[in-house]
Amino acid sequence: MGLHMLTFIIRRLFITIPMLIIISFLVYLGLELTPGDAVSHMIDPEVANTVSPEQLQAIRESLGLDKSFMHRYLVWLTNILQGNFGHSLSGGVAITTIVLDRLPATLELSIFALVFSTLIGCLLGTISALRRGSTTDSTLTVVGMLGVSIPEFFFGLVAILIFALNLGWLPAGGRLLPGYDSLMDRLPHIILPGLVLSLMMTAGVMRYARSAMLDSLSREFIRTARSKGLPEWRINLVHGFRVAITPVVVLIGFRLPTLIGGSVIIEQVFQWPGIGSEFIGAVRGADYPLVMMIALLSVFAVLLASLIVDVLTALIDPRVRLG
Amino acid sequence: MSNTALDRKFDRIRALEEAGKLKPASGSRAIRKMMSNRLAMVGVVIFMTILLASIFAPLLTSHDPLKVDLRSMLQTPSSEHIFGTDRTGRDVFARVLYGGRVSILVGLGSALIAALVGVGIGCYTGYKGGWIDMIALRVSEIFMSFPQIILVLLLVSIAGQSLANLIIIFVLTGWGGMYRLSRARMLSLREEEYVQALQSFGVPTLKICYKHILPNALGPIMVNVTLTTAMFILAEAGLSFLGLGVPLHIPTWGNILNVAQDLRVLQHNWWLWLPVGSVISLFVLSVNFIGDGLRDSADPTIQG
Amino acid sequence: MNNELALSVKNLKTFFYTNKRCNKAVNGVSFDIKKGKTLGVVGESGCGKSVTASTIMQLLPRLSRIEEGSVTYYSEKGEVRIDQLERDGPEMRSIRGEEIAMIFQDPMTSLNPVYTVGFQIEESLKYHTHLGSAARKARVIKLLADMGIPLPEKRAKEYPHNYSGGMRQRAMIAMAISCNPKILIADEPTTALDVTIQAQIFNLMNKLKEEHETAIMLITHDMGVIAELADEVAVMYMGNIVEAGTVDDVLRRPQHPYTRALLESIPVLGRGKDQDIKPIRGATPDPYERPIGCQFAPRCDYATAVCEVMPDEEAVSDTHRVVCARYKEIFENA
Repeated sequence: MGLHMLTFIIRRLFITIPMLIIISFLVYLGLELTPGDAVSHMIDPEVANTVSPEQLQAIRESLGLDKSFMHRYLVWLTNILQGNFGHSLSGGVAITTIVLDRLPATLELSIFALVFSTLIGCLLGTISALRRGSTTDSTLTVVGMLGVSIPEFFFGLVAILIFALNLGWLPAGGRLLPGYDSLMDRLPHIILPGLVLSLMMTAGVMRYARSAMLDSLSREFIRTARSKGLPEWRINLVHGFRVAITPVVVLIGFRLPTLIGGSVIIEQVFQWPGIGSEFIGAVRGADYPLVMMIALLSVFAVLLASLIVDVLTALIDPRVRLG
Repeated sequence: MSNTALDRKFDRIRALEEAGKLKPASGSRAIRKMMSNRLAMVGVVIFMTILLASIFAPLLTSHDPLKVDLRSMLQTPSSEHIFGTDRTGRDVFARVLYGGRVSILVGLGSALIAALVGVGIGCYTGYKGGWIDMIALRVSEIFMSFPQIILVLLLVSIAGQSLANLIIIFVLTGWGGMYRLSRARMLSLREEEYVQALQSFGVPTLKICYKHILPNALGPIMVNVTLTTAMFILAEAGLSFLGLGVPLHIPTWGNILNVAQDLRVLQHNWWLWLPVGSVISLFVLSVNFIGDGLRDSADPTIQG
Repeated sequence: MNNELALSVKNLKTFFYTNKRCNKAVNGVSFDIKKGKTLGVVGESGCGKSVTASTIMQLLPRLSRIEEGSVTYYSEKGEVRIDQLERDGPEMRSIRGEEIAMIFQDPMTSLNPVYTVGFQIEESLKYHTHLGSAARKARVIKLLADMGIPLPEKRAKEYPHNYSGGMRQRAMIAMAISCNPKILIADEPTTALDVTIQAQIFNLMNKLKEEHETAIMLITHDMGVIAELADEVAVMYMGNIVEAGTVDDVLRRPQHPYTRALLESIPVLGRGKDQDIKPIRGATPDPYERPIGCQFAPRCDYATAVCEVMPDEEAVSDTHRVVCARYKEIFENA
């Protein structure tokens, strides 16, 4: 750790921040292209309703309505950095409020799916690799292929049909609040959407873990380990698995955008009050400020997660730190 | 020495070898590999079945997928209507068959166009290098920083819903992967000796790039095309299910599923959504089987 | 006799069964490894020398097996038939590392990149000795120092990619000898290294031989290495030993056409650029399409009809043996 890691992070930020700025520019461009002026939504509707038309016009001019595109963009950007994301076109609620309101739900689901798919995927993938060629391996391979082929929402529908409607074991959707309900009460609500969301990712991690494990086990240092007379479990775990996780962690980094995107549809299917379902509502309602803002935030989330994964990779693979 | 099943298998092989019976078969090794990969073969069969069923839809059903018949609403499957009818009396089987045309068109078509664009750019900029390569790389990174669904919905909200729009949007979100792949291959192949030889002979850049290097990179590209097709078909299904993909008046597999958002339909009218969903799953599964088979046969290092 | 021998291999056959075919990689090989002596096994790529080494350590891949023959290790407790031990069973595992150790060709890929060198050396000690943690760490540092690695305390905490090529191979050797094995198998230990580093490694290995009476089996394709290090030589071709004897016997009075051809195909430093090097004509045959009888016959300048039957082994002297039907005629006149 220490100095190497710090320079690594700083170098990554040097690349990431310009990218964010360019993307924010493109997003603002999108905002300008859509119907309506790109400035009015930055004003709090409460304020807009109480001031006189002249004062309103003054405010809008200060936001750059009559100035150049670049001026407006910079004003918009400054606002964002200060936490003013503008206001939703339907209802005039501050977007910041909406986001903060819905974020925990999405985080809950995403983290559940991430943890579950990583753990179970690695476990099953490793078992598959160690029992290569056996029936277990073949079964798991086919199950894995099914997992990446069945549309997640379809799987969700079937799951709702079986577990919620027919068997009545689990609720068909909705979410209970952490402050008000205990974990035990909330768990049944999280299980179905969480498992369905992790379906594709688990299958993906499993296949990748299997191939990473097989690749690792075929390398020369495994032969060296065996020639030292080490027991099989140690060769597989300490040497084989440990080297195999690096590419798996990198893969998870690549799949994060998919996870963030996947929650959009699943939230809709399970009536889960997260950012994803909010986004769908915004698209349907042509609520452009909200659409753009959520898109921008999702990119931010992806880039941030990417950075975290890169740091993790550097931590577990000593070779990466130098490069 | 214990006589395990493996030992007996070895004994058999050895006996055959010593009797001179095991000579390599003729024919391309790649094709042989494919044929011996049962899953890939199953995949091809399923794929062709569904594809041909969609193309020859008029031969398989006499019903018009768009024809509303309010007297036969919500009928369960029968010999008259193989998948039953929906809420406005339309024959579901016909809708699935004709819907397949659009879904496959969108999925496969977008994947192929995205491949064309991605590979075209990737080969050229990868070969040339320099600032044009840097720019293309950064641009692709920008596209790939968006979660696909979010980018698609973003563009749909700006551009509006239509079949053509959807294909264009899919290409925009999908070209990046192809680009990265072909660029990576190009970077490694361009250092090969035969390329330097071609350069010293004065062969023009474009020709080296597309005629000589590209064929060597085709293996992983084809695999990627199949995977991208699978991805787009799933994406279209998801979007149309939400009513945000292909406009509802054009039947697609996802569109048909749109009604399943209602829990009552889910529970009581299984024929409206279960068969369609299964068809989508089977089709994507077959594409994945084929992609896997392609990957195995193109990779010379996997042992038999 | 038993005091002298460390390992004895008799009529060993190892077959590979990949791609549903049978490859007779080692097809009847016999040799002895003596204590405190170096046996060099030389031959072109694919002749089966590495497979022989893997067989002794039972490190063969999944789709292969010891078909026939015996591998006998003369331990302090008596004779051990390695070929009859369970592949990864407790006895074999206690032999590996502790009694017989191996070093490999490319130390960069043979060392695990995510663990420190010290950790990897300590592993052997952990499983074969009863030393405590502090004692093990001290031992690691001493081993690295013995191998001539400067600043061993610092180096032990570094990763393989921090080491230079020569240092990595020394670290591998340190790891291999950490538990004082009786036999060290070195599979092309210097092929991946610079010539200057080679000399250092050779010195190390000679030191081992002299100070610890370690028996060394040295595998290489380089006759020069044999000349430097080996006491005895076995020349392999297509899974068989075609000639074997002391270094003096084989290098000065080669009796097999293949050995001769090998010696004549090597450029010698100092003889100038016009020296007569003759590459061996033809190429090694496909192991699945072997010639009948003597495997070298298609490439041999002296082959006749007699060579269509595999010759028996003949003794040229007490120490020197050869497998060639016509050697007497060919080389009496040489």
